Amino acid sequence: MAVAEPYDVIIVGSGAGGGMSAYHLTHSGLKVLMLEAGRDYDPRVETPMYNTNAEAPLRGASTPDKPFGFYDATVDGGWEVPNEPYTVAEGSEPFTWWRPRMLGGRTNHWGRISLRFGPLDFKPRSRDGLGADWPITYDDLAPWYDKTEKLVGVTGAAAARGLFNTPDSPPGCLMESPPPRAFEIFYARAFEAMGIPVVPMHGAVVSQAMEGRNTCVFATPCGRGCAIGANFQSTTVLLPPAMATKNLTIVTNALVYQVDLDAAGKAKGVSYVDRITGAHHSVTAKAVVLAAGSGETARILLNSKSSAHPDGLCNTHGMVGRYLMDSVGLGVRGQFPALEGLPPTNDDGMSVEHVYAPWWGYAKQKELGFPRGYHVEVGGGRQMPSMGLAGLLPADDHSVGDDLRGKLRQRYGSTIGFNGRGEMIPNDDCYCELDPTVKDKWGVPVLRFHWKWGESETKQAAHMVQTFLEAIDKLGGKPLGKIETDGRKAISKGGEMIHEVGTVRMGASDKDSVVNQYGQTWAVPNLFVTDGAVLVSSPDKNPTLSILALAWRSSDHLATLAKTGGL
Amino acid sequence: MGHPTPQDGTPKYVSKIDRRTTLTWIGVVGAATAAAGAGVVIYNQKGGGKAQAKGYGTDPKLNPPIKAPWPRIMSDKQLQVAALVADHILPASGAAPSASSLGVPDFIDEWVSAPYPDQLKDRAIILKGLDDLGGRFLKADATERAAKLATLPGSDFFKRFRALSVGAYYTTEAGFTDIGYIGNVARPSDPGPSDEVKAVLEQRLKGLGL
Repeated sequence: MAVAEPYDVIIVGSGAGGGMSAYHLTHSGLKVLMLEAGRDYDPRVETPMYNTNAEAPLRGASTPDKPFGFYDATVDGGWEVPNEPYTVAEGSEPFTWWRPRMLGGRTNHWGRISLRFGPLDFKPRSRDGLGADWPITYDDLAPWYDKTEKLVGVTGAAAARGLFNTPDSPPGCLMESPPPRAFEIFYARAFEAMGIPVVPMHGAVVSQAMEGRNTCVFATPCGRGCAIGANFQSTTVLLPPAMATKNLTIVTNALVYQVDLDAAGKAKGVSYVDRITGAHHSVTAKAVVLAAGSGETARILLNSKSSAHPDGLCNTHGMVGRYLMDSVGLGVRGQFPALEGLPPTNDDGMSVEHVYAPWWGYAKQKELGFPRGYHVEVGGGRQMPSMGLAGLLPADDHSVGDDLRGKLRQRYGSTIGFNGRGEMIPNDDCYCELDPTVKDKWGVPVLRFHWKWGESETKQAAHMVQTFLEAIDKLGGKPLGKIETDGRKAISKGGEMIHEVGTVRMGASDKDSVVNQYGQTWAVPNLFVTDGAVLVSSPDKNPTLSILALAWRSSDHLATLAKTGGL
Repeated sequence: MGHPTPQDGTPKYVSKIDRRTTLTWIGVVGAATAAAGAGVVIYNQKGGGKAQAKGYGTDPKLNPPIKAPWPRIMSDKQLQVAALVADHILPASGAAPSASSLGVPDFIDEWVSAPYPDQLKDRAIILKGLDDLGGRFLKADATERAAKLATLPGSDFFKRFRALSVGAYYTTEAGFTDIGYIGNVARPSDPGPSDEVKAVLEQRLKGLGL
């Protein structure tokens, strides 16, 4: 029985942060209890690897039950989770919150893009006076990036290019990527003509076999998960070796809502409700690690109220829930006569982009009129047909029969989607707090979000649109659908990029941060946070790799404290 | 008794659904419970139709994938009309089979019967379009039928029906063959595009001045 064990550490959450924490702490000899809000999940038996859309209800089309399509590796979640509402404050811009309820969390379906933050990304305030500096530098995290890439398995090896603020990994960290696909060769030529570099993507998909994992088979989308362990999922890469140490106990359907304190004010454990039975449990350990995701981690702290902490735990300075960030995002799609009627070729590739365009405008940020940049993720090629296939046809086309077949054959594989992912500067209007009235099914107050994009973001979004239109024009193509050039209207909703980070940020003192550089809370020395909540800035580089590297570094510190009696 | 039969020699459409699936809809088979239990959301049906159906829920079995659990609402007459329109859009051609032989009409039925917002929107459009054609269309001779079909382009019904037929058709193995999708096969490595593809691409890039 899980509750009877004397645990050293309780970890809340099993995704990137929780999975990595469990991996390191169990290998350090600590007894760990992991609490996951969702159900047990095993990609090795549950992943629909080669199933076609024709086998799925509605040909796999997205529905409110499965917003990213039937086969998406998201259980009991998406933009809404049954029984677990959230609210958006009146007057706020839209905010949306993606949550799964499954072991491994969002690492099961994520995009696998694994870019290191650059030196500048850790010191944004020193750079231009905006945002806040991290208490660490790139050099502090670099060794942990190295270790993480080697453990996780990341492709993208290339000769060092020395691009500004876009770190190359040292030799031996990355595996070879497959060559660019036809559409990637094609668009890269226009980008290069525009002075935009196109380089191998760093993707958490392995091109060499690793222990207990198969190499990529270059078929079937990563978003379904991977039954052969060829991409990074906490459930295939971190949790199995952690279990093998015999130091890990996992309890699923355990929705943690509170950190419990002892008389001395230290964490003694957590309380959770069993999502299925509704029963409440309290478990104890010498230390607690929160890695429930930026939103849930903040919510747990805010709900951990006591007479000593009337506004929630670690919230003396009102910092919990503050500086919520997401990536700036939008996409423009084009259709290209020059790609029509290419000889059939297998474009499945490794699911994640083989190449991408890192931000190229560092030197002209002032003249551009917005302070931070974005990278470009580009999708296209002869993908497995879906219910959206008729979207290939011109809007005024009414063809049938052989005419229709011919047009579809001609235009299949001739569209390319350009997607910008950019840095957001944290602002005072973006945060979460407890809703004063709304509670979840079990009576626990839910989060209320506040959101407002700044001009730094909307101008950046407008620039994305112009860049993509220019590239489409250079390539002799035409944009598809309605093009919105006003950045304020074109920009994604808050949370829509599913990179929400920064509610429990790290810093140099308890005045302007909740945790120190090791994710250790200022207020409670044996309480740690190892998910995206600790991020101080949200660079254009997707956050997962950095969450993993930070979680490893923080866990190492925790393990050292545990061994030296420092908890 | 019976249903109208196409008069121009077109064979009557025979549903491609297996018996087990039909039994699932009427609740005879235990598999019907796949969509029951926690996490099922029941949506408001705005497009009319029969009793409220359940979706497949937020945790449907993916491997192997479950069949759509909701009951089908199209009448046999609607199904017959759908078969004729689908085969007008995608008739057999060379090695490529017709839409009806791939069960496209049944898929249209699955789609318009689904209890989700996008599908409910289509339900109203598709069922009205099929009913407007109706029994007269089924009984019509080839000339009359062709004249009627020629009036459809431009209508919401035609736009949506064609999009659904194209999606349903090309997501099948036969559709993959017809359009030239050769992926979804395990490979030891990804060699990238062939020399032939690269040569064509270079020529076209040159034409664009790139």
